[in-house]
Amino acid sequence: MFRVILICSMLLTTGVWAGELPPIGYVKNITGEATVTTKGDIIRAKVSTPVYQSSVLNTRAQSSMGIILKDATVISLGPETEFAIDEYAYVPAKNKFKLGSRITKGSLNYVSGIIAKLQPDAVTVTTPSGTIGVRGTKFVVKVE
Amino acid sequence: MRFSTQILFSCKALGCRIFIAGVAYLMIAGCASSYVVLLENQDGTTGKVIIKGQKGEQVLSIANQGAPLDGSAPAAPVSKDKLNKDFSAAIAAQPRLPVSYLLYFRKDVLLTRESEALIPKIIAEAADRQAVDISVIGHTDTMSTIKLNERLSQQRAAKIIALLKKKGINFHAITLESHSERNLLILTPDNTYEPRNRRVEVLIR
Repeated sequence: MFRVILICSMLLTTGVWAGELPPIGYVKNITGEATVTTKGDIIRAKVSTPVYQSSVLNTRAQSSMGIILKDATVISLGPETEFAIDEYAYVPAKNKFKLGSRITKGSLNYVSGIIAKLQPDAVTVTTPSGTIGVRGTKFVVKVE
Repeated sequence: MRFSTQILFSCKALGCRIFIAGVAYLMIAGCASSYVVLLENQDGTTGKVIIKGQKGEQVLSIANQGAPLDGSAPAAPVSKDKLNKDFSAAIAAQPRLPVSYLLYFRKDVLLTRESEALIPKIIAEAADRQAVDISVIGHTDTMSTIKLNERLSQQRAAKIIALLKKKGINFHAITLESHSERNLLILTPDNTYEPRNRRVEVLIR
């Protein structure tokens, strides 16, 4: 028992918990320069860089990046874009679905996946002036 | 020149609300800098986008129509030039869309002949993708007990992963999932034989 508590507290203090959450998707392509920031860790994105819940994706000028999430949602960012995945739950066996994302600037191409099919109201893209609800579709959005 | 000045003027004066139907798309081209455009899906269907903005709610249901994100104006057509100018980079960066395959079992963990024949197609689909992320999801029908089905569903998925790896599938990550009889393709009562539920889904991303 003591040992279990010790290990738990070690994990907590070293922040291993966060790192052990499985990725919710991967970077599939990159042009130019882009980053994936998760819990303050800024990673220069390359093909196969993992994306986690709470990751913030950034592209520089003349750059772009494409990612695919677990539920087959396909998202690609144009240049000078900031896009975050704030909430993500994809647990079909427990009927648990959520995809809450946010674009603060730039341009985005979005192809909705299984979550939008199974529980459409669980998918939202928040922007500085309004929120987009997604009903099984493809769209593009620009924020200036 | 005078024409565009006039439009700019009316944009300002009307707060992006242009009432002449013929130039409706200028609302987006001229004024709204933050907007969303609905596009057609790969399969030819079109879904919906619902905007809940600071200035109202709008629904987009026709492909290539757009509206400002603040909800201040209804859907209007967006020109190809405008789409290209604002979105060509984002659209060009779209990764190849995921594909999913269903493999069926004639008994326990034995694939049907048709499903066996699909394996080379799955290998080929994964071959020319980048950072291939594969989910292999086992399912059963409702025959037998939940406990036994959980084991069988797990075994089916594990068997397919082993088979794909043996055939040298290209992958970055491969994940086993097991839904047992909780995610039926064909809804049936308990203890029902249903071959279409005895399956493994392979999702290639």
